[in-house]
Amino acid sequence: MNSIERHVNHELEAIEIDLLLEGIYRYYGFDFRNYAVPFLNRRIWNRVRAENVSSISGLQEKIFHDPSVMKRLVYDFSINVTEMFRDPSFFFSFRTKIVPLLRDCSAIRIWHAGCSTGEEVYSMAILLHEEGLYEKTRIYATDINENVLKHAQAGEFPLQRMQLYTRNYLAAGGIRSFSEYYTAKNENAIFHPFLMKNVVFAQHNLATDRSFNEFHVIICRNVMIYFNKMLQNRVHHLLHESLSLSGILALGSKEGIKFTSIANSYEEVDSFEKVYRKIK
Amino acid sequence: MKFKTKLYIGFGFLFGLFIISYLIFMIMMSQINQNTKNAVKNYEMLSLANTIQNELNVFSREARGLLANPPEELKRPFKESRDQALHNVNIAIGSLEKLDSREQSQHLIQELKTMSRTLGEMEKEGDGLIKEGKYAEVTQLFWYDSLKVREDMVKVASELQAIQKQTVDTELNQSRKTYKLMNQMIFIYMIAGFLAGISMTIWIFRSVTGNLNKVTSVMTKVAFGQSDQLPRIKVTSKDEIGEIAVAFNEMAQALETHTMQEKELKHAAEEHSWLKTKVAEIATMYPGIDSLEILAQLFITKVAPMTGAKYGVFYMKQGNGEETKYQKLAAYAYNDQEAGKDSFCLGEGLVGQCALENRTISLHQVPADYIKIASGLGSASPANVLVIPAEFQGEVLAVIELASFEPFNPLEQMLLQEVMDNIGMNINSILRHMQVEKLLEDSQTLTEELQSQSEELQLQQEELRTVNEQLEEQYENSEQKTRELEKTKSMLEEKAKQLTVSSQYKSEFLANMSHELRTPLNSLLILAQMLAENADGNLTAKQVEYAGTIFSSGNDLLHLINDILDIAKVEAGKMEILFEDVKLSDVKEVVEAQFIPIAREKKIQLNVQLAPNLPKVIYTDKQRLQQILKNLLSNAFKFTEHGAVSLTIQKVEKEVFSKANEIPYTDIELAFAIKDTGIGIPEEKQDNLFDAFKQADGTISRKYGGTGLGLSISREIAHLLGGFIEVESIEHNGSTFTLYLPNDRQMKQSELSIVEAEVAAGVIEDSESIAIVDPVEFLIQADEIEKQSYGKKALLEGKKILVVDDDMRNIFALTTALESYLVEVLFAENGKEGIAVLQEHPDIDLVLMDIMMPEMDGFEAIRFIRRKEEFLHLPIIALTAKAMKDDRKQCIDAGASDYISKPVNLEQLFSTMQVWLYR
Repeated sequence: MNSIERHVNHELEAIEIDLLLEGIYRYYGFDFRNYAVPFLNRRIWNRVRAENVSSISGLQEKIFHDPSVMKRLVYDFSINVTEMFRDPSFFFSFRTKIVPLLRDCSAIRIWHAGCSTGEEVYSMAILLHEEGLYEKTRIYATDINENVLKHAQAGEFPLQRMQLYTRNYLAAGGIRSFSEYYTAKNENAIFHPFLMKNVVFAQHNLATDRSFNEFHVIICRNVMIYFNKMLQNRVHHLLHESLSLSGILALGSKEGIKFTSIANSYEEVDSFEKVYRKIK
Repeated sequence: MKFKTKLYIGFGFLFGLFIISYLIFMIMMSQINQNTKNAVKNYEMLSLANTIQNELNVFSREARGLLANPPEELKRPFKESRDQALHNVNIAIGSLEKLDSREQSQHLIQELKTMSRTLGEMEKEGDGLIKEGKYAEVTQLFWYDSLKVREDMVKVASELQAIQKQTVDTELNQSRKTYKLMNQMIFIYMIAGFLAGISMTIWIFRSVTGNLNKVTSVMTKVAFGQSDQLPRIKVTSKDEIGEIAVAFNEMAQALETHTMQEKELKHAAEEHSWLKTKVAEIATMYPGIDSLEILAQLFITKVAPMTGAKYGVFYMKQGNGEETKYQKLAAYAYNDQEAGKDSFCLGEGLVGQCALENRTISLHQVPADYIKIASGLGSASPANVLVIPAEFQGEVLAVIELASFEPFNPLEQMLLQEVMDNIGMNINSILRHMQVEKLLEDSQTLTEELQSQSEELQLQQEELRTVNEQLEEQYENSEQKTRELEKTKSMLEEKAKQLTVSSQYKSEFLANMSHELRTPLNSLLILAQMLAENADGNLTAKQVEYAGTIFSSGNDLLHLINDILDIAKVEAGKMEILFEDVKLSDVKEVVEAQFIPIAREKKIQLNVQLAPNLPKVIYTDKQRLQQILKNLLSNAFKFTEHGAVSLTIQKVEKEVFSKANEIPYTDIELAFAIKDTGIGIPEEKQDNLFDAFKQADGTISRKYGGTGLGLSISREIAHLLGGFIEVESIEHNGSTFTLYLPNDRQMKQSELSIVEAEVAAGVIEDSESIAIVDPVEFLIQADEIEKQSYGKKALLEGKKILVVDDDMRNIFALTTALESYLVEVLFAENGKEGIAVLQEHPDIDLVLMDIMMPEMDGFEAIRFIRRKEEFLHLPIIALTAKAMKDDRKQCIDAGASDYISKPVNLEQLFSTMQVWLYR
């Protein structure tokens, strides 16, 4: 294939993707138009192969006429990679640097945006419980995908991952035994329901929905990596708007606030863990 | 005259006066002294002259006493006193002689001397005469001779005295005169000296203080802060004050010069600092700027007012090489005039020229229509235009053009030069910065992209893992099944034996059954038929009808029994298939023989057609083939009221069927199509058409009779023959049932599968009441049931666990609890023992390690275990005391996988164990 053809193909591909996303938005109401292009590219082609069609246009037909394909594509777009105490150093940093800042608050509101299947929400609940802050905390855990929220609400996580979780818990500075928080049943570890006492799970789409409260802490880790610059900025503004002054914003370790339009509104609390504090 | 000289003169004059007065006094004093001395001398001479007179008197008295002829004894003192007096006279004369040197006096003194000697001699003569007793002569002598001498002597002495006295008087007068003179002189002198001294003093004072005052008054005029114009002292005198004045004037001059210099310096410094401040002011706005537009805008709006410019444009270099352009990026007080241009090429216009030469271009007195500086009230033309380049390392990065009413002063130009240098650097650094930012941003985007890819990968990995796990699970399941199958195999073998026996029983039972059922049924049928024939004619029409019904129902029952036996055989695998060569013509004959009468009876046409390309002989079970065809044709006739039923035997392509069916049939060769023009089958019912005991319409059997087992049996038989049956039907328009059959001489597979089915069915029949279940399905079900009820057990069962604890009660409690989950428990009472047990049993799955133990505590034991490579991943759960928070960290540091606080909650312990035993 010569370069012109490739170029044309790229162009065609871009058009096909645009059309598909526009169509999805207009027909199903899901707005993926501002997701990161390479990501969309990969996921869509992934689905194209999985659905055994030869082109994106072929997939488009299936998507518009077979809602189950759409469901699968939506599932493709929602990358639910998570684990308990994921990046233990982040939780350790939270425990040592952020918790002292929160002690004086009479009530703590935390928004966990993009909570996926809830592992990190449970981790946060455990951490706050151990620090004696859980009683006055309310965690709003949201995700775009309702299915994962159902999963999160159940609080059952596969037993096979628990060894890793235990190690993470210890590395994150856990001060009790991790086994206090779950009971093994069949293939799952069922977490004790008291951890969910102050957690509200709700569907929320960062790309289209508005702010719904003011929070002391917003955790939005590895969510915006799937968005393009424009949407990243939009979400950053949304988070900024939802954060009280001196509130804490925690991003994924590979993300950063430096190149967003509101970089000046934050100061670094932990540059490595990408924890920021709103200063204006 | 110098001040010093004046002082010398003044003091010298006074000193001179003093010396003169001293000399005068000295002279006078010595004169007085002389006078006094003379007086004393005169007085001595006077007294000597007196003494002479007195002594002469004494002499005379003594001499007379002696002459009075005293007793002898008294004569001697008289004599002595007379001699003494004479002696004294002589002494006085001698002294006088010495003292009075005057000639007159000397003459008198010589006379006296002579007379004294004469007197002395006369005495001696008188004494000698006394001794001789010659008193007369003595008296003579004395009263005459001696008296005369003595009188002369007194006379002379008196003369002398008179002289003396006269001298004294003269001298006294002299003294008096001298004193008087002295007094006068002193008085005069004092007056003169006083006057001279005063006038001298006044003169000196006046001459000194006057000059000093002059100097002071000038000096006091010198005020602070006015050191640029100092008063001068008019130099009149040449004395020290004059010198002071000169010095002062010099100093003032120097001060003035200094002040002037200082002022100049200060001015220069102020300018410098203004420059620096402005430069700094501009420099401080750079940080944080990351776009050239903002930089240019800020710069021009800052620089223009600083330099008094009223108009300014900032051109930034864009493009490279021949495409280099200087594009207007920002402006100060810019108004849209035709005059301005938005971009310049290199060398184009003054801006371009400036950029080309990298040199400031300055215009003065530009024409009135050059450019207008406009405000709300009006506009005017500036007089001066300055075009300045900003360069970095020789490259002109930007050009600014400024216009002003006043000329740009050197300072402003200097400022411009400096800030232009700076901005060149800054533009460069911002460009660099922008590049770096861009790169950073790109890298950030890439990092995020990487993260998302990694998450996707993780997800895919997860999915793959899940699939893998499922596969593994399936594999394990199949493994397990294989094992179980093997296990059951022995069982089955036994069962097979039993089965052989039981199938014998079954066959017998079935045979008996058919016999036992059919015998009474046959008699029943015969009797019913006889009744229905009503040979005697004694039955009412109703009764005949009843008998007919009994007959037909019994007949149905018989068919049913046959069918049930058939299907039981098929499904129990008892249906025997006997492959042989079958002539298709025979098939046709049999079919025709059997169904032509029915066709005739129902007035339906029957067509049996054999395609011309058919093989003459096929390899199958003749009897079963006929059974299927019979079933299908019976159905066709049953549901067809009029029209035709046809059987068409054709050859078909082998591949046609590999797609449509879930089970690929690759060797199908023949198709037996039975077509009717009957009622047809609704589409939704076609799916379960072949299920046992089902008919298209539940009510159909009532109308058409039949058991509904025929199709099921046909399908099963078709499967046994290696083929299948398909149905195509349109409701009310008839149906086509097609039997597809292979023509294969190696038909063994189906037999094999039958055996398996047979075996499995046997097992299942024992445990479950389900008649026929897929063995695989059964095993999965069984497995699930087991997992549900024994999930915990499944994970823990058969595991070997080492409990290390020094408290036997704990060991006992744990062992009891664990063994109830079929866990094999080993125990040790301390770390050392634990390690020993572990080495003996390397297949231990998990260790529960108490921490506080004698001999070797838990930490040490864990560390020791972890040092061995084979135990690197062995799960070790430490049992720590609840209070000891440090213990936990130590546990993990030592290498424990997890910890649980004592007293142990069994539920928690089992949960933890399941986590760590999970494989």
